[in-house]
Amino acid sequence: MASLSEEVLLVVKKVRQRKQDGTLYLMAERIAWGPEGKDRFTVSHLYADIRCQKISPDGKSKIQLQLVLHTGESTTFHFANESSALKDRDAAKELLQQLLPKFKKKANKELEEKNRMLQEDPVLFQLYKDLVVSQVISAEEFWANRLGGINNTDPGLCDNKQEVGISGAFLADIRPQTDGCNGLRYNLTADIIESIFRTYPAVKQKYSENVPHNLTEKEFWTRFFQSHYFHRDRINTGTQDIFSECAKQDDKGLKSMVSQGVKNPLVDLLSLEDKTLDEVRFNWTDSNRTVKDSSNSAIIKRFNHHSAMVLAAGSRKGDTQVDQASETSSTDGNSRDSDFFQPPVRLQEAIEYEDLQRENGPKTVALNLKKADRYAHGPVPLQSQQYTTSQDIINSVNYIQHEMANYKPNLTQVLSSTSASSAIAALSPGGVLMQAGAQQAINQMVPPEVQGELKHLYAAAGELLRHFWACFPVNTPFLEEKLTGHLEEMLQTAYSKFHIWQTRRMMRKT
Amino acid sequence: MKLNIEGLLVYFPYDYIYPEQYSYMLELKRTLDAKGHGVLEMPSGTGKTISLLSLIVAYQRAFPLEVTKLIYCSRTVPEIEKVVEELRKLMEFYSKETGETNNFLALALSSRKNLCIHPEVSSLRFGKEVDGKCHSLTASYIRAQRHSNPNQPVCRFYEEFDAVGRQVPLPAGIYNLDDLKDFGRRKGWCPYYLARYAILHANIVVYSYHYLLDPKIADLVSKELAKKSVVVFDEAHNIDNVCIDSMSVNITRRTLDRCQNNVDTLQNTIQKIKETDAAKLREEYRRLVDGLKEASVARETDIYLSNPVLPDEILQEAVPGTIRTAEHFVGFLRRFLEYLKSRLRVQHVVQESTPQFLKDIFDKVCIDRKPLRFCAERLQSLLRTLEIADIADFSAVTLISNFATLVSTYSQGFTIIIEPFEDRTPTIANPVLHFSCMDPSIAIKPVFQRFQSVVITSGTLSPLDIYPRILDFRPVTMASFTMTLARTCLCPLIVGRGNDQVALSSKFETREDFAVIRNYGNLLLEMSAVVPDGIVAFFTSYVYMENIVASWYEQGILENIQRNKLIFIETQDAAETSMALEKYQEACENGRGAILLSVARGKVSEGIDFVHHFGRAVIMFGVPYVYTQSRILKARLEYLRDQFQIRENDFLTFDAMRHAAQCVGRAIRGKTDYGLMIFADKRYARADKRGKLPRWIQEHITDGSLNLTVDETVQLSKHFLRQMAQPFRQEDQLGLSLLTLEQLQSEEMLKKITQIAHQT
Repeated sequence: MASLSEEVLLVVKKVRQRKQDGTLYLMAERIAWGPEGKDRFTVSHLYADIRCQKISPDGKSKIQLQLVLHTGESTTFHFANESSALKDRDAAKELLQQLLPKFKKKANKELEEKNRMLQEDPVLFQLYKDLVVSQVISAEEFWANRLGGINNTDPGLCDNKQEVGISGAFLADIRPQTDGCNGLRYNLTADIIESIFRTYPAVKQKYSENVPHNLTEKEFWTRFFQSHYFHRDRINTGTQDIFSECAKQDDKGLKSMVSQGVKNPLVDLLSLEDKTLDEVRFNWTDSNRTVKDSSNSAIIKRFNHHSAMVLAAGSRKGDTQVDQASETSSTDGNSRDSDFFQPPVRLQEAIEYEDLQRENGPKTVALNLKKADRYAHGPVPLQSQQYTTSQDIINSVNYIQHEMANYKPNLTQVLSSTSASSAIAALSPGGVLMQAGAQQAINQMVPPEVQGELKHLYAAAGELLRHFWACFPVNTPFLEEKLTGHLEEMLQTAYSKFHIWQTRRMMRKT
Repeated sequence: MKLNIEGLLVYFPYDYIYPEQYSYMLELKRTLDAKGHGVLEMPSGTGKTISLLSLIVAYQRAFPLEVTKLIYCSRTVPEIEKVVEELRKLMEFYSKETGETNNFLALALSSRKNLCIHPEVSSLRFGKEVDGKCHSLTASYIRAQRHSNPNQPVCRFYEEFDAVGRQVPLPAGIYNLDDLKDFGRRKGWCPYYLARYAILHANIVVYSYHYLLDPKIADLVSKELAKKSVVVFDEAHNIDNVCIDSMSVNITRRTLDRCQNNVDTLQNTIQKIKETDAAKLREEYRRLVDGLKEASVARETDIYLSNPVLPDEILQEAVPGTIRTAEHFVGFLRRFLEYLKSRLRVQHVVQESTPQFLKDIFDKVCIDRKPLRFCAERLQSLLRTLEIADIADFSAVTLISNFATLVSTYSQGFTIIIEPFEDRTPTIANPVLHFSCMDPSIAIKPVFQRFQSVVITSGTLSPLDIYPRILDFRPVTMASFTMTLARTCLCPLIVGRGNDQVALSSKFETREDFAVIRNYGNLLLEMSAVVPDGIVAFFTSYVYMENIVASWYEQGILENIQRNKLIFIETQDAAETSMALEKYQEACENGRGAILLSVARGKVSEGIDFVHHFGRAVIMFGVPYVYTQSRILKARLEYLRDQFQIRENDFLTFDAMRHAAQCVGRAIRGKTDYGLMIFADKRYARADKRGKLPRWIQEHITDGSLNLTVDETVQLSKHFLRQMAQPFRQEDQLGLSLLTLEQLQSEEMLKKITQIAHQT
């Protein structure tokens, strides 16, 4: 056997594949099958390559197990041991069931990564379509020098694109439109749904509980918009509303936020006052006066909660890091101390008069504006700054009147009518003198779809050339083979593709 | 920097000084020299506190026999801590310059909640609980019980302090609240009692107003403070209301019910004690016959700050026989309670003076004036005798007895109003008896009488002359200082019209007007698009804000504002508002920008600063008049007119404008700060309103910005904000609004400085 060093987890004899008897081996990292009497595997799949396994239904005469690979190929094993076929198959299935998920994650990660790259980068996607889908080069080769770069860099750096915060007004953006027959239409986008979920985790929970088992997505959102939860200004009455629970959870969340208190003593209104002492004060009033729960105060509560949640959703990531940091520091017992030192620092800041002290911070370079006005007003079209007084205007009006009164046409010096009309013709659109100005840039002459296609061809050819040049210097047999073998072929294909395109364009043009 | 203020060497812990600080110190020195009282107004953010501290500390060092103590009263706990930190800075400067260690002792005092280090007690969340729990561990009889029963829990910190803490004075130094706690932890002493003890010999004490103004607290904490002290009330623009609050009592049906329970408990306890320990009650009786002589001796020899609740006359007398025994007194309380209950059963509003009330009570239940006056003292004595552990439980009966004493002591300056229901909900019976003080001078009188100099100072005290009138004292100096500015960093704008020329006003007739509300909304919306970071908007009252927010919500204005900034709204719940405030600051901090909708006279407008980007614009929607239909207010206005010849309208406008000034002043916290102040009401343009704004704001209101439309406001704001966003360096200020020592000493500058102080 080729690789006995591998740990063999299960051996099943009398397994047929392509009508050939053989033995199935399940090993630590792969599944393999070898025909009877031969010491090599004709079938061997890494677990990571397997997407899923399928088994034949119980009642069927043939007891089979099918492996579907990520590439879409599949391999079928037929368990042929008459007495124990079912047991064998089940044993294999069980083991696979345990093994596959372990590898799946790894595989999926790579796949996801590829998928993500394709989605985020339209140029790459187009390239992928041009080269891989049209089978100029294989998928592995395409990814070989793409993924390499990614896997080497710190995944933390490029994996996380910057998280986008949530607009405070995302609910306002789904303003309903009447659809003409007593109905309302709400426009939801994926972004808004994402925003709702991030701001109101309770809704997300409801969503995952109910969709798609109890409700369709559409029904869910319809109910959401109909719910009292969405229109919180109305007093909550209905209990059958699935969102009434959300409202309760929100209230609870708000309460817990409130009960946590605030960290900054400068804004803690509860501890601002300092008047309790041995005796109660004179103007002792009922301290637990209940605040009336009017609908107006519900709106106010809602706004506070909404803003807090939006804020929290935007900074959740940072928070967790801070929490972790504080947790780690609390293990060595320092966190108490740091808490302890915080207030004086804040106080120090509050009593600082920075301008009364000598500057000792780093010197900064001040922006030197020549014309502060221009900065303050933004760019304005250049215009003469001379103002004319009303006296000037009156003077000039008088002057013009005077001029007009004394106007005498000088008829001997005027243009003849023919030359005048030819001049007009030359200056009108389409005339001789107007053509110079109508020269179009090349990007306006060529229709955009042609430009697009050309761009794609160019990119594809460029990619191929990159592969080509990456083979030099040719110092391994693999590279040599690649160069002499299919790369040449590929370039040929690409060239012919371009040629085809060219002729097609020519054909169309003529 | 070392300054020469009319011959006094003042150490000032900075390299530069604002001209107004110098001017302020001059005035302050004159006040101290004259051993009189002063009223000084200087804008916030011009270093008022450090000027005060520098001068008074220097004065104390130069004339240690003239001024022995500085009592610095501020409003909130953070303010108190800030003052102590500034003082620490000053003291560090002193020791650096003089090279000798200071023998100054300065400390902050706060309630138990902020000072307790007992592991269980300090974990309680509310001040009242902490006080109650502390009392149950440290009361004298509890500790006495421990002698017989060692299992009785006591506070080890207090025990330790009591055993050794009083012998050694607190070492010299600056003690903030945290320092006191640290010190307490090291020594194992109770920081609260340590601080209370240490204020007697400290050079500087920093604490809250209430410790001096609230008669009950002052009696416990401050009565033995030296006469030769300088008292400073910082942020004193609201001092009259604090005085009034501390002397007013509200009694509801709930109060009476709880009082009933208290009285029952008292009765039972007396019964029990009678069976077990009758000697104790006899001892008390003997003491009461002797009367309150000790207190009277102390007051005559001028050791104590007098307590307005404890009138002079009763000190000479013995407690009247009718309430001398414990049972009789409880019976007396029952009768009084029944009488109050019957009064609360009224169907219509009753308003009467204290003599009328006394006559009525005599006619109905035969309670004389004299025993009523002893009620508070008698109850205290009884509670001590009965060894009641949790005094907080007896708050209701304490309240009632205080009321009894006050009502029988003062025939003037108080009024009694009984309202069977709230005006807004005439169908729901909720009777309240307001015993309301109308004369703030009653509570503050002992302070003015006892202490050598009292300085009242704030950023907004305009018009200055009204304070001496309503507080009934004669100041030797009254001055208002402007803010010298190298660039105009505040921009007050009065918006009188909407873009559709609708007059904007929150006055009663138009406040429900749809057009006004919409225009207010537009103003906020437009501003939210131009102003960076934080905007704070103030409304005249909570109800008004609720209505406006609701109608903005319906009109979709709030949604549009949300596109620009997040919205946070003050609620009536302090904890919720704190959270909103913190989130607001977070949103300003991370660049998203936010709007805080808040209420004038609310907690936010009084205690929270919006420095730099936390408040680039303040919008004052309407003129924050107090609710004028309130009977208490009407009674007070009448009293002011009769006693002080202050016209009702003058007082109302003064009160509204000081609150407006407070609100808009929140945004400017220094010369490097900048902010828009938008007054959205056409009434601000009138001279009588404008003239009552502080001078440092008034100066910058140009005639062109008196009646702007929303559009014009936006244009002016844009321009202002762009200019202000330019870098502002120290060199720009030097010589104008910031001085070196040399510049300060130049003739020319000294001449200029004399103009800064605006005497009235």
